[in-house]
Amino acid sequence: MLKINNLNAKIENKSILNKFSLNINPGEVHAIMGPNGSGKSTLSNILSGKKGYEVTGDVVFDGSDLFKLETEERAHRGIFLAFQYPLEIPGVNTNIFLKTSLNAVRKARGEKELDAIEFLKLVKEKAKELKFDEEKLNRQLNVGFSGGEKKKNEILQMTILNPKLSILDETDSGLDIDALRIVADGVNSLRKENNSFLIITHYQRLLNYIKPDFVHVLMNGKIVKSGGAELAIELEKKGYESFS
Amino acid sequence: MEKQLKTDFKKTIDSSDYSQKEIIVKEKCLNEFIRSGFPSKKNEDWKFLDINQAIKSKIDNLNYFNENLPNELDPKIYIDGLEHNKIIFINGRIEKIDFKYEESDKFEIKDQFDNRGLLNNVNSLVDLNLALATKYYKILVKEHYSFKKPLIIYNITTNKISSKNINIRLDFDLKSNSCLKIIDYSIDKSEKNFVNIVYNFSLEKDAIIKNYKLDTAENDNIKYSYNNFNLDTNSVAENFILSLGSSFIKNEINCNLNGKYSSAFVNGIFNLDNNKSHEIKTSINHLNENTKSYQLIKSVLGQNTKSAFQGKIFVKSNAQKTDGYQLSKAILLSDNAEFNAKPELEIYADDVKCSHGSASGSLNQDSIFYIMSRGLNYNEAKELLINGFLLDVVEKITDNEIKNLIKNIMGLKE
Repeated sequence: MLKINNLNAKIENKSILNKFSLNINPGEVHAIMGPNGSGKSTLSNILSGKKGYEVTGDVVFDGSDLFKLETEERAHRGIFLAFQYPLEIPGVNTNIFLKTSLNAVRKARGEKELDAIEFLKLVKEKAKELKFDEEKLNRQLNVGFSGGEKKKNEILQMTILNPKLSILDETDSGLDIDALRIVADGVNSLRKENNSFLIITHYQRLLNYIKPDFVHVLMNGKIVKSGGAELAIELEKKGYESFS
Repeated sequence: MEKQLKTDFKKTIDSSDYSQKEIIVKEKCLNEFIRSGFPSKKNEDWKFLDINQAIKSKIDNLNYFNENLPNELDPKIYIDGLEHNKIIFINGRIEKIDFKYEESDKFEIKDQFDNRGLLNNVNSLVDLNLALATKYYKILVKEHYSFKKPLIIYNITTNKISSKNINIRLDFDLKSNSCLKIIDYSIDKSEKNFVNIVYNFSLEKDAIIKNYKLDTAENDNIKYSYNNFNLDTNSVAENFILSLGSSFIKNEINCNLNGKYSSAFVNGIFNLDNNKSHEIKTSINHLNENTKSYQLIKSVLGQNTKSAFQGKIFVKSNAQKTDGYQLSKAILLSDNAEFNAKPELEIYADDVKCSHGSASGSLNQDSIFYIMSRGLNYNEAKELLINGFLLDVVEKITDNEIKNLIKNIMGLKE
């Protein structure tokens, strides 16, 4: 589904990713762990189409050259990024934003757009599953939301859009243990044959709840070690230092 | 200019039935205008938008006599979906007054000249207006009467006029505990004229005036509007300005909070493209205790555009417990867009709460990326952000029906 081959990324002439390669097959959950500044967020930004990076290498998503797709086209094809720091968008109602987003994606996929009632039914059901306060759906997008609410809102958007590849950029940071469990449940509910996940995290904590198929250690823009779920536990014990 | 003014002034006098008293006042104002002329950027109040320069560069041979041209009313221009009373100006002349929704003994429309509250010596443009406005109407709302429907003042210019100075003057007298909502709606099919509008509002205690100025039609006219308010105890003046269409427009508001617990609100939106220059200038004078003012002005500025907000809050020494607030924000969509803010606080009382703020910047690219990552394209993301930025101002409108009308006019989605 996602094939990254020798990806190099620079920003303002500073090299961030360096010959980064990774394959994700349908249904797989990959975790990328790494210290601060190792290039984790850059990777998620580049995959979802953020501008401003100087990029070389090949990234193929579902048979298409990813770099030929605009940011919104990647969303249409099924890439979703749960932001590390979700933005506050004043004056934009959360519910209406979610509906606009879902219908933009559905339209691009040639599916029928949902009307207000169909959408409301869907969003209420998903919000309930995530224990996301329904009242917040009528507020301005992320404005005045706590850190945890913002993260839950990301997961809510993810479950509504039902993406093929979900990238979770440090979704666990700033979450208390209950919220962590709810977020993990949200992710696990999307785990299906065809849905894949790229989970970016500092800590092994989240991986207690979302069991990864593969764990990769990212250091200085490169994967230095890959393994199964047990690698995360080893990392937690030994620290990143031992891999440098 | 002087020769043209004098000739056109004589034509104006000859074609009307002004009283001798009125003519004397008008002559005085004319001479005052001739002495000072159009204000230029040398004048501090006009340093951001130089109207003298704008008129010189845009209008050839400006003339001041507003002859009575035959005009046809096109009912299609009326605002739909909102029952309303009407005053219709076409090319500066009143064509229709229709207050059919109101009880006829609850209001008066006077056209006698009254030399109280003339507003002479305010500035040269108000003098010019006084000298040349063809008719002087005063609308009086009697005590304890609230207008059932809003009044829409249509200000229409047609392609029959060009290089013309149009002067409109209306006074509003709101007796105690009365209420009136006015929408000024301009429809311009003309180009290269100078439209000069002066309103004078006088509010007795507990009266409420709401004035919504909508300048939305794309046009190449130069406009100036001066609103003066005198507010007695516990009265309220709510202003909303939607500044979009004209190539040059300055809205000026002077508000005297004379009575205790009186309050003034000024909310404004500039959404500009194509070389437009717009300004809002306010003077809110807190002259008594427990008076309140609130101002929120937002700009979205495209290529070669310029907006300015000059907001002054004056607090007299006896105006304790004053609450004054103003904020202006701008999004600059182009490197050559310009936003000017000049907040001024002049405070002589010691127990007051006054604040001001101003911020400008370009569209937040991180926000754009966030929205695009959810499937919206760049233009949709941009529109959503601008929409949200401006919606905040529209939400300040206290009349729901009018708020929805304005949202529709602006194409704002909730």
